[in-house]
Amino acid sequence: MRPALAARHVWTASLAAATSVFGVRTSAAQTTATVDVGVSTVRYDGFLPSAAGSLTPALTWERPDAVVTARGTYLRFESGRRSLQGLIAASLFTPPNLLAHRWRGELSLSAGGSNYADFASFWHSTGEARLHYLGAGRGAWIGGTGGRTSYGSAPRPVAVAGVGVWARRAQLTLAASATRSFVGDTAYSDVGATIHASRGRFEVDGSLAARLSSHGAGHGVYGEASTTFTLGERTALLISGGRYPTDPVSGSVAGRYLSAGLRLRTPLPRPRAIRDPPLPSRSPASGDGGGSSDVTARLEVKPAPDGAVRLVVYAPAAATVELAGDFTDWQPVGLQPTSDGAWESVQRIPGGVHRVNVRIDGGRWTAPAGTTRTTDEFGGEVGIVAVP
Amino acid sequence: MTPNCTRAALSLLVAMVVAGRATAQQADARLERLDAATRPTVAALLDSARTAILPTEPLVQRALEGATKRASGDAIVTAVRRLAADLGHARDALGSTASPAELTAGAAALRAGASQATLAQLRHARREPLTVPLAVLADLVASGVPVDSATAAVLGLAARARDADLVEFRRAVERDIALGAPPAAATAAAVTAADVWVNAGARQQRPGPP
Repeated sequence: MRPALAARHVWTASLAAATSVFGVRTSAAQTTATVDVGVSTVRYDGFLPSAAGSLTPALTWERPDAVVTARGTYLRFESGRRSLQGLIAASLFTPPNLLAHRWRGELSLSAGGSNYADFASFWHSTGEARLHYLGAGRGAWIGGTGGRTSYGSAPRPVAVAGVGVWARRAQLTLAASATRSFVGDTAYSDVGATIHASRGRFEVDGSLAARLSSHGAGHGVYGEASTTFTLGERTALLISGGRYPTDPVSGSVAGRYLSAGLRLRTPLPRPRAIRDPPLPSRSPASGDGGGSSDVTARLEVKPAPDGAVRLVVYAPAAATVELAGDFTDWQPVGLQPTSDGAWESVQRIPGGVHRVNVRIDGGRWTAPAGTTRTTDEFGGEVGIVAVP
Repeated sequence: MTPNCTRAALSLLVAMVVAGRATAQQADARLERLDAATRPTVAALLDSARTAILPTEPLVQRALEGATKRASGDAIVTAVRRLAADLGHARDALGSTASPAELTAGAAALRAGASQATLAQLRHARREPLTVPLAVLADLVASGVPVDSATAAVLGLAARARDADLVEFRRAVERDIALGAPPAAATAAAVTAADVWVNAGARQQRPGPP
């Protein structure tokens, strides 16, 4: 985003400026559980293609500086054979003030195992340390991994060194990395790039990598793509496919695949401000009119060309729409109808945090959608807009 | 200094004070919208705030909000008094150089549950104005993000992020929450793209090979 645009960029933000959120102190960590159910067609290198059904439960405990994930996969192939995989991984980031400006450290642990048809078993346990440089919208890291892995024999040492860079712009993130790995007497290098993009309910991931200088881990170019489409609060569709290399650490065999599945997840905690019960239709915050006070209006705050701010209220069924806020000295301002049920007014609003209410057809003052509504101190509710 | 000069200086000082008070009273003319019983109490609160070198405009606006919403005089006075206290606490944490916009945002953050220590840490961590970081902090809490998580996220970003980055961060959190992510997790994921893309694997949730 260009600075000039950023300076004019107006955004809506909801503030807990009233007592409804005062004292909300839940645990800093949150836990998410998901189950992926899917079908795949997979062709491991050197084997015939096979269809498989999969069940993948996962549990994630997360807070801003730490995350722990436990994940398992049950695969059943069309031959009737089955595969079990399990992984637990944790990352811990250093506090922001521990290292120098813009630097963060990360310590990660990973342990897992897999078993195929009762005759092939892997396990691994590794630890990794990374040093991150975090710039504005870009960064880099350097790290090293050590650990052990085993394939039905004596454990083999694992050592990996890697560097990476990333950049993010709006909803697009690009990353590139290079690693050199040693697993027992196997050695190989991977260089690759990933892309992540999100728009609305869609998330798309892609990767392209090459394995070079390999002794015992194969060569080649690999690529994968996946998309996640969120259906609702608890469900999402998953589609993925591509070709991936052998991973001597976790024991996965190179192959190509195409998968489709459904992700189910646990219910989510509700924001307190949204959870507030609806206000009575008549309250001390009511206006004089008996209009359609329960009509839902949505407010958008947009930059105007001359540095002013365009306030757009979407209220298709309204006959009149008024707005009042601390930038109008709380004097009601009538909005002008435009098209598609929109009403608008252009105001000069200084940068900062502002409170605003909307009134439809002379009804009660309400906090419009598009902001996190919160109670005011007068028995009603208020929305907040912040103008940088 | 001669007696004449002293008298002239005192006269000038008195004139400036009177003019200043007159200007303040003139600005407070908007309080005519309050009822006669409430107006003097609010005016006294404004005077107290002025004496304490706190911004009075947010207090005036809070009173006008109550008037527009036809709140009782007691409710208006309580709201103005509470905001004045919050502004004072914000100033204590942010320092005497804090702008009115920063104090207003700081008061909202404190009301949301942030601590004065957090505000002080933000002041130390960021040279640029704190209005947007404070607004984001309060907004995250209002969106359901635990106070501790929101504080850690904003503190982590404050030193290096521009206002536009913070806005984008807030949007990312809002979008992820809307799409189903737990608020704390959404904050963790958005606090830096690095967390999503360069962590050592614990946050990998995208679909992969069977």
